[in-house]
Order: sequence, then structure tokens, then C-alpha cells
Amino acid sequence: MTVNWIGLWTIIRRELSRLFRVPIQAFIAPWVSALLFIFIFGFVVGPRISSIGGHRYLEFVLPGILMMNIVNAAFLQATSQIYFQRFMRYVEESLVAPLSYAEMITGTLATVVFRTISTAVGILVIAAIFGAVELQSFGEFLFWVIVVSGIFGLLGIAVGLWAKNFEQLTVLNIFFITPLSFVGGVFNTVSMLPPWLRWLAWGNPFFYFINGIRHSMIGFEEAPEMLGAGLSLAMFALLAVGVWRLFSVGYGLRE
Amino acid sequence: MTPALNIQNLRKVYRGGTVAVDGLSMRVEEGDFFGFLGPNGAGKSTTIHCVTGIATVTSGTVEVFGLDAVKNYREARRLVGLSPQEFNVDVFATPVQIVDWMGGYFGIPAAERKRRIEELLERFDLVEHRKKPFRELSGGLKRRVILARALIHKPKLLILDEPTAGVDVELRIDLWRYLGEMNRDGTTILLTTHYLEEVERLCRTVAIVSRGKIVRNGPLDEFLTGDGLEAAYLGATGARPDRIAAGAGK
Repeated sequence: MTVNWIGLWTIIRRELSRLFRVPIQAFIAPWVSALLFIFIFGFVVGPRISSIGGHRYLEFVLPGILMMNIVNAAFLQATSQIYFQRFMRYVEESLVAPLSYAEMITGTLATVVFRTISTAVGILVIAAIFGAVELQSFGEFLFWVIVVSGIFGLLGIAVGLWAKNFEQLTVLNIFFITPLSFVGGVFNTVSMLPPWLRWLAWGNPFFYFINGIRHSMIGFEEAPEMLGAGLSLAMFALLAVGVWRLFSVGYGLRE
Repeated sequence: MTPALNIQNLRKVYRGGTVAVDGLSMRVEEGDFFGFLGPNGAGKSTTIHCVTGIATVTSGTVEVFGLDAVKNYREARRLVGLSPQEFNVDVFATPVQIVDWMGGYFGIPAAERKRRIEELLERFDLVEHRKKPFRELSGGLKRRVILARALIHKPKLLILDEPTAGVDVELRIDLWRYLGEMNRDGTTILLTTHYLEEVERLCRTVAIVSRGKIVRNGPLDEFLTGDGLEAAYLGATGARPDRIAAGAGK
């Protein structure tokens, strides 16, 4: 089967044009939020906390803040892209066109990755201004940004297909993503948690995402990075198959 | 000869059990101008949605120029252009963007797309409105954008679901002329409308659908004999006798 490259590129450029219609929401908001985190943890709270693994607290916390924003950007981009198409019914434009499900999913994920990389670059620039950026392995860093974007992009697509109203779009974020990211080691190490709560960290996928990106940035890890990478790739593959299946049966798309 | 559209025993049941199309079969020959008529809720739009991929098919087969519209959906889609009844567009986008994106979805290269967009904007008098957001356009202009979008890839089968609803007289006449030209040039057209004068003026074959089934199908001439198309339509759709008599002018 041949790829409809022009169609795929059209999905991407169309969504980018929608994204640039709301630059404050898409780009400025996460940068401002990261700036506040960096300021508070770097200059208000940070100096009162002793170093973690030989790193200043800001350096320790920055990868976590970055990961939280990547997760949010990926999820919001995918849910809004799919839900808006359904809500305004212009999803029908792609349904009547010779586009494969794989092209529709890939196009959506490509814009998700664009948004998360833009978010990450902006946060790194802000952190650099505060002298807090360390990047030990750019390849590893890119791996984590792309894989986590993919996971939450796919999850966002599934939620965007499932949601019947705007309220439902936020359910997963409020009850799953935000709590798990907060207890996944953004602000602390697992060893800081009470022993009875540590199992929660080990069973929390966010812990592996944060652990991975932190290792790529400052070389600090609490779990083997390869384990996290394997789990993340498995999650991505599983979600990709699930979302492809949803598209192929027309769930949330076709009448 | 392979028909442009061949639907056999099409059945569409919505979640919740509503049967919208119930064993519908029809054949549209290549080059025909086909009127697909029926009252509101008869199953016209659902049938069209099954042909174009907006709705899933519960059972039955749909073939476009011999291609299975479900199994070979990508190849089949390339041959079909749809102007839907409702405005299914990004209302913040401009006419140029809307038509351009659709051209892109159909894999038309940029230079060709640009040329074609200009041609369609000119054809539908949209040049001066090209950069206005869709939501700021009048009803008639919106309809023109939807038509331009349906034609960007020069479809062999054009499906028009009530294309002249809410359109002013001038555009309607202009559109009739344009559709006539397209049909003469070889495009097969399937038209649903509630304006019977439109059918009499444009179509060569007519099918009437009622409660999800084709209840009458044949050349337009057959419908024009006797009491005329309106009476035939009302009779076929099971309208009350007094309304049929009124339709026949009695």
C-alpha cells in the first residue's frame, strides 16, 4: 500500500495552522508555568534544600517539570485535535478522503511531537537563563521526549474519540495524569517517600518517564533506564495497536 | 458496463437500533444525472454517508466504479466528491484553506492544487471572499465553498446532498448550468433535493426512497407521464390521498 505523503503532510500543516491560532494556550502557558516553577524551586525553595545526588535542587527538579509539561502538551494537543474535528464535524473531510488510518494517526502524532518539542525547547531556554540546564545525552533526551509524546498523544486520541463533551476531555488529566505525575518523582526521589508508599512509585509509569529524562539530563537515576525504556516502548506499541483498532472500526468517527 | 455506483441490499442500523436504511439496492450508470429523492428521514443522507465512508455499513455492498467502498475504500474515495447537506468544516478557516486542505488530502501536488483552487474560486465567485473566515460568509457563499471543496479533485462521481438548500436564485441557476456542463463532460452526478423542478430540469433517472427502501426507480420520463413527478413522488412515499390529489393539481 502506497503512502499518501501529500495527504499526510496536509494533516500536519492543517493542524499546525490551528495550533498557531492559539499560541498563548499552546506555547506561552506551559512556558509561563515552567518559569514560575523554576523561579520558586531555584530561588525560593531550592537554596533551603540540600543537594540530591550531588545536584542542586533546581537541576534535580527541572527534568520532572519538563516531563510534566511534555505529558500535558501531548495529551492536550491530541485530545483537542480529535475532539474539535468531531465537534465541528470536519473530521468528515478526512473520512471521505483517500487517507489510511495509519496516516491519520501518524499525522496527529506528528503535530503532537511538534508541540511537545516546542514546549521542551522553550522550557530549556528559560532554564538556561537561570543557569540550570545540563544535558548529558541529547539522544536519550530526544528519545524520552518523543516516546512520551507518542504515548500521551495516543492516549489523547483515544480520549478525544471517546469524549462526548468538553468536560470528559479533562477527566483523565485531573484524575490520572496530574496525580500520577506528582507522585512519580517530579519533586522528590523515591527514597524520600515513606517505605509503605514506595511501591506506588515503582508501579507508576510516570516514575520511569521522569527517571529516564532525568538520567538523560543530569545522569541521575533511581531505576534502570533500560527497564523504563522497554516499558515505555511496550506501552507505545500497545496504545498504537489500540488506537489503530478504534480508527478501523470507526469508533467515535463514523456514524 | 461497470456502473458508477452499485448498492446492493444496503442496511444501516444505528446504535440504539434505529434502522435508517433497510435493504436498499440501486444502480447509477456512468454518466447519468441521478435524482435520489425521498422525504426527510427516509435514508437518503445515511445512504450517501455509507457510500462516502462517513457512516459504517451494517450489511450489504457498496461499489464505486466496481471498487468495494469498504474493502478498497482508499481507491473508491478518490473517485467520489461529496457536497454534504450540513456544513462540516472548520468555521475559522478561509475558503482557500478549506479547499486547499481537501486537495491535499486527495494527494494533489501543491502547484496543481493552487491552479485548481483559483479555477474553483473564480467559478463560484469566491475570489473576493477567499480570505474571510467561513463563519463570516453568508449561507449562499458557504454553500459555494462546500461545492468547490467537493470538486477540487475532479471526482468521477459527484454526490450532492441538497446543494441548493438556502441558496439564492442566481446561484441556483448558475449551479444548474455548471452541473449540466460537468455532467456533459462525463461526471456522473447523484443529486438529492426537495426541489422537484430541479430534478425535472437536470436528472435523467430518478429513485425514490421511503423508510430506508427504494420504492420507485426509473427514467425521469416515466415519472413525468400521468400526473407528473410531484404526484408520483407523493404516491410512492405513501402520502395521504388528498395530498397526492393536490400534487396532481386535482
